[in-house]
Amino acid sequence: MNPSSAEPIVHLKGVTLNLRSGAGEVNVLRGIDIDVAAGEAVGIVGPSGAGKSTLMMITAGLENPTAGSVRVAGTELVGLDEDTLARFRRDNVGIVFQAFRLVPTMTALENVAVPLELAGRSDAFEAAAEALDRVGLSHRVEHYPEQLSGGEQQRVAIARAVVAKPRLLLADEPTGNLDGATGEQIIDLLFGLARDDGTTLMLITHDMDLADRCGRTVKVADGRVVEDTARPHADQAAE
Amino acid sequence: MRTGPIALRLARRELRTGLKGFRIFLACLALGVAAIAAVGSVSSAMMAGLEGDSRRILGGDVALRMVHQPAPPEALEYLEASGDVSTVVSMRAMARGDGGETSSLVELKAVDDPYPLVDTLDLDRDMTLADALAPRDGVHGAVAEESLARRLEIAVGDRLRLGESTLELRALITTEPDRLVNFASFGPRLMVSDAAVAETGLVQVGSLVRHYYRIVLPAGADRQAWIADLEERFPDAGWRLSSLENATPGYDNFVSRVTLFLTLVGLTALLVGGVGVAMAVRSYLDGKTETVATLKCLGAPSGLVFRTYLLVVCILAAAGTAIGLAVGALAPMVAAQLAAPLLPFAIPVAVYPAPLALAALFGMLTAVAFSLWSLGRVCEVKAAQLFRSAIAPLGGWPRLPYLVALVAAIGLLAALAIFTASDPWLATAFIIGSVAAVALFLAASWVIMTLARKAGRPRDPELRMALANLHRPGAPTPGVVLALGLGLTVLVTIALIQANLSRQVDERIPDVAPAFFFIDIQPHQTDRFLELLRGIDGVGNIQTTPMVRGRITHLNGQPADEASVAPDASWVLRGDRGLTYSATPPENSEVVEGTWWPADYAGPPLVSFDANLAEGLGVGIGDTMTLNILGRPMTVEIGNLRKIDWGSLGMNFTFVFAPGTLEAAPHSVIATVHVDDPSLEAAVQRAVTDALPNVTAIRVKDALEGANRILSAVSIAVRATAAVTLVAGTLVLAGAIAAGHARRVRDAVVLKVLGATRMRIVKIYLLEYGLLGLSTAAIASLVGSIAASVVVVQVMRGDFVLPPGVLALTALLAMGITVSFGFVGTWRALGQRPAPMLRNE
Repeated sequence: MNPSSAEPIVHLKGVTLNLRSGAGEVNVLRGIDIDVAAGEAVGIVGPSGAGKSTLMMITAGLENPTAGSVRVAGTELVGLDEDTLARFRRDNVGIVFQAFRLVPTMTALENVAVPLELAGRSDAFEAAAEALDRVGLSHRVEHYPEQLSGGEQQRVAIARAVVAKPRLLLADEPTGNLDGATGEQIIDLLFGLARDDGTTLMLITHDMDLADRCGRTVKVADGRVVEDTARPHADQAAE
Repeated sequence: MRTGPIALRLARRELRTGLKGFRIFLACLALGVAAIAAVGSVSSAMMAGLEGDSRRILGGDVALRMVHQPAPPEALEYLEASGDVSTVVSMRAMARGDGGETSSLVELKAVDDPYPLVDTLDLDRDMTLADALAPRDGVHGAVAEESLARRLEIAVGDRLRLGESTLELRALITTEPDRLVNFASFGPRLMVSDAAVAETGLVQVGSLVRHYYRIVLPAGADRQAWIADLEERFPDAGWRLSSLENATPGYDNFVSRVTLFLTLVGLTALLVGGVGVAMAVRSYLDGKTETVATLKCLGAPSGLVFRTYLLVVCILAAAGTAIGLAVGALAPMVAAQLAAPLLPFAIPVAVYPAPLALAALFGMLTAVAFSLWSLGRVCEVKAAQLFRSAIAPLGGWPRLPYLVALVAAIGLLAALAIFTASDPWLATAFIIGSVAAVALFLAASWVIMTLARKAGRPRDPELRMALANLHRPGAPTPGVVLALGLGLTVLVTIALIQANLSRQVDERIPDVAPAFFFIDIQPHQTDRFLELLRGIDGVGNIQTTPMVRGRITHLNGQPADEASVAPDASWVLRGDRGLTYSATPPENSEVVEGTWWPADYAGPPLVSFDANLAEGLGVGIGDTMTLNILGRPMTVEIGNLRKIDWGSLGMNFTFVFAPGTLEAAPHSVIATVHVDDPSLEAAVQRAVTDALPNVTAIRVKDALEGANRILSAVSIAVRATAAVTLVAGTLVLAGAIAAGHARRVRDAVVLKVLGATRMRIVKIYLLEYGLLGLSTAAIASLVGSIAASVVVVQVMRGDFVLPPGVLALTALLAMGITVSFGFVGTWRALGQRPAPMLRNE
């Protein structure tokens, strides 16, 4: 898919983030420009401290840039208040974290149902059960996170991220806390679901093999995009 | 858990972890609510008991009391025409054994045939009261409390002497329906017929005699209308009227004062508990930042997060409150058991919804008020934190709406405390004092932390680490200093007040107090009285003063019961007060406003009045007071104001008239007598009462023993309630130690890895908690001493001294509590082996 053929789902223009710390001002991002087309799978790679996670936070509306424009799914995120951003995420963005971030007091089913409950959907639990079925956990719905293995917890997190059929799926080192084999399964699942739903996938990783499965790799270093490579034969999120 | 509003659904899921981390929260809240609910329930039960028994205690539907003289015949006629009437005469007198060897002060009651109109008087013999009191062989009968027989060393059937007559003890009183235990009761009851008392010669002009008229109105009569009619017919009768609505004003007043005081102590416990609540909620929400960030990431707005955790707090608070209410509701049952032998009425065991509802409201409001700060902060958790490996604990200030809600909740709590108190001013002072104390303790904790930070780097590594623990970020120092400090302050305050009162009663008063008060000396007996006493070696200073009783009816022409007066001055309007006259200023008092009249004053009636009471009544020099003296109204102008040293226990009068007004009124003389050697007291008493049988001797030592008995009984109740506050403070400390347990374990493990022996680690923690306890005790002692000195000097108008023992005990107690709790926590931390924990890190 050609990123420039239609309105991009993610449009970052001149995104800068400066943070103040005890040691003075830190330039975390120094003018990032990225467009991601709907259905694309983009791997964001780079060394530690390059600004990958910050880029992800800004894209999810979790952090406000110091300057620049952040347009996601047709909405300009800069200047929106926190609650409007929360509702925006609920309706448009699914996020998968390295550390799973499941709510320990909720069962797998409830964890997955939360975004739909927040959206006021009356079929939240039916849809959540279906999502768990898609990730192969229909036999684990009433289990609490602590009763699940790491891989199972990440599958629950993926089910939660896709249950509301978001237009954009963000994954921050989703295999970072998992062993190799489990990590493979999780990545297959993530790509498969994104492809089936036609969801755009942005994946942060420092694993180049994993990044190579994406149709496009954006390399970030020192707060800048230093390389942006498209690969025609890679796993596309949507074909 | 799939239906209902989303906030409630999320809250219920959050509560699945059970009460983990909330035990201290529940205990703190339950303790405070239980204290308030128990005090309120027992008070309501006592009031219900008094009300239920008011007709029996009053002795009829309406009771009239007159001092010195009986009701005028036309009034008595009217009373008798209105319903059944019983007349009772009561006074203090001396009863003596038939041989004259033994004597005792008695509370004498002379009754007529219809007595008692309500209920029955029980005797230990199978006879009626009328039979028991009737004359036999020319000797009147008498019945008495068993303790009188013991004091006079006589048995039923023996004779005793009262005034100028001889009586025969026919039976002992088992129950007397209309007797309320009175703090001013000095002697046992002796009951005779009205005919008998007339022969004793005790009832003389000016003697301190009270005449009671109890009336039972016909069924269906309108009591209020009858009372209004009576007051209109006899406006100047000078009696004091009690009806079923105000049958026991003294008791009601006492119960309501004690209730207020104990409620305030209960509120202090709740305040301390509130600190525990705040710390528990903070620690709980600190652990919830990841969940909150996750929920926000998934699209939950801040408002939903706030509502969810507010619901969590409310549900838990409801549980804590319910436990407190259950305990409080059972209190009347326990009180009924314990107080049954002490009270002349039964405490009805029931559930009293009003005080329970109030306690519940206090509990819920406290929980919400003390949680709002952390609840407001948890809304500020940023979802972006999820991208970082460590989730930061809560920090910063909540947003303005939450701060407004916090102030509103505290305001509501204060308003509730003030408007439900029987004395809103005292409650207001308490609130202001509490806020000041909280501010002071927070400031003190800041000082402790700053000093610990600035202490530099002591050579001793254990001391250095202990100091660092006191001021490191997230240290529990402010919470522990505040909660334990408040608890200790209450204890110190009460201990110091009590120590000062006891010192007053045990040491100071006996030094200056006379050995005896003699009352009811007839003016013509004064010379004989003085002569008798001066004939005894060892009798010291003797003072005699004329006295008549009178009651304030009007202040500046306005009826006294309509005047607005300060609560601590209202007692002076309630009953009959002693009046005297003097040409010269009395001892033990000092004219502070105006001037004393010339010794040969001969002008319009003037009175010298107590300066404090004048302030309380809102009157000053030139204002007038109308007193009813022996049934006649007399208006006097205030000529000057005096400051009176009541602690001297000498002859002190609130009212001292200028010469020329009271001399003509029939009055008696009272005297104080100092005796050098206590062993002479019995001889002095016998000499006077043998020669002047109508004169009554009151031994100051007996009165003081009575006062001490009351003091120690009250102090047990007060200390028990104060202990609740300290228990709450200790709970908060335990909570702080439990909350810091994980950190303590980690610290201990790291220190062990670095080569610290267990002894050294123990020393660090003991030093930390010892320093915390000692500094808290020092501040609590300071605040408690200030509070106690204000109460002793300003309210009780006594001298304040600081007994070092109380302060030393406080320091020991505080250190004992902190060090032992700290030690238990440390011991558990030390038990952890480093390897497993390091593997998990």
